[in-house]
Amino acid sequence: MLKTKQATVYEEALARGFSRRDFLKMCTTLAATMGLSFKDTDKVVHAMESNSRIPVIWLELQSCSGCSESFIRSTHPKAESVLLEMISLEYSEVLSAAAGHQLEEAMANVLQQYSGEYVLVVEGSVSDDEFITIGGRSAKSILEEAVKGAKMVISYGSCASWGGIPAANPNPTNGVPITKFIKDKPVILVPGCPPIAEVMTGVIAHIITFGEIPELDHLGRPKAFYRHRIHDKCNRRAYFDAGLFAESFDDVGAKQGYCLYKLGCVGPTTFSSCAEMRWNGGTSYPIQSGNPCIGCTEKGFWDNGPFYTRRAKIPGTQTTINPEKVGLAVTGATLAGVAVHAGVTAVVKKKNESSEERGES
Amino acid sequence: MSEQKARSTFDPSGVGTNKRSKELGKIYVWELPVRIFHWLNVVAIVVLMITGIYIANPFVSASIPEDAYYSFLMGWVRYIHFFAAFLFTANLLFRLYWVYKGNTFAKSNPFRISFWKETWETIKHYLFLPNKKKHYIGHNTLAQLSYWIFIGLGSIIMMFTGFYLFFEPQLASFFGGFFSKLGLIFGGNSFSIRSWHHLVAWGYMVFMVVHIYMAFREDWLSRNGTMSSIVTGYKTEKEEDIEEKGKQAEGDKSA
Ligand code: SF4
Repeated sequence: MLKTKQATVYEEALARGFSRRDFLKMCTTLAATMGLSFKDTDKVVHAMESNSRIPVIWLELQSCSGCSESFIRSTHPKAESVLLEMISLEYSEVLSAAAGHQLEEAMANVLQQYSGEYVLVVEGSVSDDEFITIGGRSAKSILEEAVKGAKMVISYGSCASWGGIPAANPNPTNGVPITKFIKDKPVILVPGCPPIAEVMTGVIAHIITFGEIPELDHLGRPKAFYRHRIHDKCNRRAYFDAGLFAESFDDVGAKQGYCLYKLGCVGPTTFSSCAEMRWNGGTSYPIQSGNPCIGCTEKGFWDNGPFYTRRAKIPGTQTTINPEKVGLAVTGATLAGVAVHAGVTAVVKKKNESSEERGES
Repeated sequence: MSEQKARSTFDPSGVGTNKRSKELGKIYVWELPVRIFHWLNVVAIVVLMITGIYIANPFVSASIPEDAYYSFLMGWVRYIHFFAAFLFTANLLFRLYWVYKGNTFAKSNPFRISFWKETWETIKHYLFLPNKKKHYIGHNTLAQLSYWIFIGLGSIIMMFTGFYLFFEPQLASFFGGFFSKLGLIFGGNSFSIRSWHHLVAWGYMVFMVVHIYMAFREDWLSRNGTMSSIVTGYKTEKEEDIEEKGKQAEGDKSA
């Protein structure tokens, strides 16, 4: 797996039998995926012609490998072109042919050889030491060692970014996002369970093209892919504004394609490109196929309440309630309290008045 | 206050058993801007509450099914919510200004020890315990505190979280960026911020119930025209209390 000569992406592509035309097509697709304007395509072409492939180390901590699985299903650009031409994936447990000591050794070599150059990709959250060991070492120590020489870190998936499912209540392994252990390196959060394949490749493409991290929003996610709420781009939004809601999964509304808000759709609180880029090469996405959004890209995903109801979270806890129901109950209790207080006031007033009368007479 | 001995457990007019003159006079308590603020706030909160509950949990659907083209129910409800929200915000900013500009009854200063002492006495008073609560022509300090918490802090939370939600579709815009940074106080992510908005909204319901009850109760016990005062501005109080308040107001000014 080790490379000594550093070919450019273009050279790699030619070596694999791509024509110049194929190469340009790939660059155009990439530019579109990254959200660049068409006239910026030449920037991408230039970068691919002059930059060599970026060494990538892909760590898996407390994860289900779903992110890797999503990644290899990228269609624009094709996963194989990313994997073979754009990056040189030096370490990946899922995709690597080597295993065991060989693989660990390869990683140790890469960490040295490409120190300061490689991009560290992390999937999964970090647990307490006793819960994950890979090659006899704890997740935390592997991460910390790999971060040292990294140029930048990409956090793929909700687990690495926010803690995700392993960190959900009651969080038995004390799972924490990787950002807790990375202080001095730029981190790009690419949350999602899993993230859309094209988003994952798009972020890598941006790094190759511009050599720096993409523009991030206030939570550290690339703006190009996380600037919009699903709700604002949703194909059912017209029904939401019209006030037409599916009440159950098998009613007429659901059949008509009404908005899934009352079935617990959390599109209104979820930032992701699902509604624009869609999945599996732009085929569909959950809401389009009739399932409410479950908000997998959001912080606290899995602790934000059951999937098919609308909830509110009590600040500082992992507890969610139905605000209308609880609110009505609390208001009712207040009314009852007020009634009791009024009753007592009346009784005391009576008593006072009569004692005053007696005092005076 | 010479009669600062503990009064009987219950003493609605706060005068105790000592015989003071019962002469009554009118006093201008709520200035016109305060009354306008109050009623605008009432309208805004009621409208916001009803539309807000609809947005959170659409309890009726549009009457024309099939096509989204013919109705715009949720759209209108949201518009009304937004208009009311802007009214609410402007109104509240004005009221904050009036805390400095208004008369002594429009002011409140919780940064005094006596404020908290009086609050404690007032709490005891409402629990029918022996207390030294004095009679207030304006708001007692407990009431003032409840306004700071609900109308002050509560409104600020509602405004910050609400404007975040309003600008959520364009977080890249100037205001979007501003309110998303502010949103970090409330957990940063959309769901947490929205949760704050929903929960605090119900705080208003509780406040409204207690506030209206207290106003009626005061009117009933003190017979001082509390209920009509928020329309006319005048309360009927004992001359002595009025004089005392007048002196206090002088003191406020010189301070
Ligand atoms: S289905 Fe979900 S995301 Fe789409 S309009 Fe309805 S609530 Fe919004």
